[in-house]
Amino acid sequence: MTRAGHHPHDITRATPSPVTEDDTLDATVNGTVNGTANADRPIPFRRLLAVEARKLVDTRSGMIITLVMVGLVVASVVARGAVVRPKPQTLAGTAGIALGTLLPVLAILTMTGEWTHRTALTTFVLEPRRHRVLAAKSVPPLVAAVALSLFAMLVAVPVTAVVAEVGGIPADWDVQPIWLLGWTGVNVLVAAQGLALGALLLNAPAAIVISLTTPVLWAVVGRLGPVGAALAEWLDLNTTCAPLTSGDMTWGEGARLATSAVFWIVIPMAAGLVRLLRKEVT
Amino acid sequence: MDRTGQVLATWVDLWTAAGIAETRKAAPRVETHRTPVRCGGARPRGALSGMIEFRHVSKIYGKVRALDDVTFAVGPGSVTGFLGPNGAGKSTALRVLVGLSRPSSGSATVLGLPYAEMACPGLRAGTLLDAGARHPGRTGREVLTLGAMTLGLPRTRVGEVLDLVGLTERESRRRIGGYSLGMRQRLGIAHALLGDPEVLILDEPANGLDPQGIHWMRLLLRHLADSGCAVLLSSHLLHEVEQVADRIVMIGRGRVLAQGTVEELSRGRGLEQTFLELTAHTDRSPGTGTFPGVDAGRGAA
Repeated sequence: MTRAGHHPHDITRATPSPVTEDDTLDATVNGTVNGTANADRPIPFRRLLAVEARKLVDTRSGMIITLVMVGLVVASVVARGAVVRPKPQTLAGTAGIALGTLLPVLAILTMTGEWTHRTALTTFVLEPRRHRVLAAKSVPPLVAAVALSLFAMLVAVPVTAVVAEVGGIPADWDVQPIWLLGWTGVNVLVAAQGLALGALLLNAPAAIVISLTTPVLWAVVGRLGPVGAALAEWLDLNTTCAPLTSGDMTWGEGARLATSAVFWIVIPMAAGLVRLLRKEVT
Repeated sequence: MDRTGQVLATWVDLWTAAGIAETRKAAPRVETHRTPVRCGGARPRGALSGMIEFRHVSKIYGKVRALDDVTFAVGPGSVTGFLGPNGAGKSTALRVLVGLSRPSSGSATVLGLPYAEMACPGLRAGTLLDAGARHPGRTGREVLTLGAMTLGLPRTRVGEVLDLVGLTERESRRRIGGYSLGMRQRLGIAHALLGDPEVLILDEPANGLDPQGIHWMRLLLRHLADSGCAVLLSSHLLHEVEQVADRIVMIGRGRVLAQGTVEELSRGRGLEQTFLELTAHTDRSPGTGTFPGVDAGRGAA
């Protein structure tokens, strides 16, 4: 097979030269390049997604943080089960502490990883449409947030049963769907906040420090008089997303949640996207 | 000397435009091929005709002109060495070429298109910009697998390119953190070859390779060029370039100083002498009697 035949729109065909006129060329070097490869079609998004999901767990740090999260979800559910009245909703909710801390970290690492080891040089050469890579990187942590929320609920059910059996306490099996939905939503928002911070700063340590210290900072700001209290009330995502789990969110609460989500997710993500598109990759 | 370089550059432009980039054969005189070959609608505007084209590319960082009106082309079937001291602008030019950096003016194209506008550039052009830019925790095989996945290639391709660059099965399963620079270069070249590209863009690929490695790379690049590939490789080491390239583009302080075949640039005095003279005014190299790559490199570092 000639190279010209191999690549339908091979430029060498349009530029007759002694080299391409020789049909006996081509070689073992070229091997079996086929599969679903097509040079004339953009890389399908699902492929970028598969690659970015794999990058999340194919290094030690990614693998460790994923395992630690799964482990902490189980541990926190079991630990809470040992001390409170058996109720799956309460037990699962405890896992929110671990998820609220580690989901943003996972999200930050996926966004900043390319810049720590300069693998961006490879990634953006294979897919120069950088916004597609950003989008592909955003999906796995959000999916992980949903999956781990449901996983916490799944773990909570047998733990509740065991605690009720062992302790002889009647279990409260009441799980409000709206609570589960709202609580999952909180975890997704927390992951999205991590993604946005990571995309904006492209620096893992800085983003992780900001992500982990903001709850403390808001507690301080909330006590700085009426202005501080108003700021915390409207911008502290951890506070504003709490009503999601109650199932009877008011318009005011919705407005506060939207405001803080714009402030922590939409604005930094948009700024991060612009930065990424303009950035010199070195 | 500058004038000679200019004349030479013009000469080579015309010569490249004539579509006879098969440079290892005795170069036909340009006078007989003055008319550029126009090919279908595939080649847009201008006089150059190559699989890689730089047209008046300038890149300005603040007050520094990293690239200053860089114009050259690489045709099919040739290995072109991009030679210049450290800091001359080689890496900047290659980053501009693959869309990682935006030129301040001018344009660079691969196969007639700006790289970033190609649908799936990894299948048409193979790129190695920095063999060190890898996650140390991934194995060589994992890096190639990610590349193959991205490009939609079968996993068997990973084994093929590993064989091609001489990395063993065991080496490929080790973490890159433990690789020597030579192994990283081989891995980088393997990655560039994944998509069976028509164009190869390699930044300092011979760095860290031992003499056997350089010999191997020469054979590999020669083979690829003979099958119609256009290869552009940069180096600050003249002897490396001399060994693998059949054409050379010399760059200093962001400007193309001269370009042509190795024989042309030697002009009976040796390539080294030409290189030294051309870079003497643009860089802080001592300019006499020393190996230019080394001294110019130190001077500029």
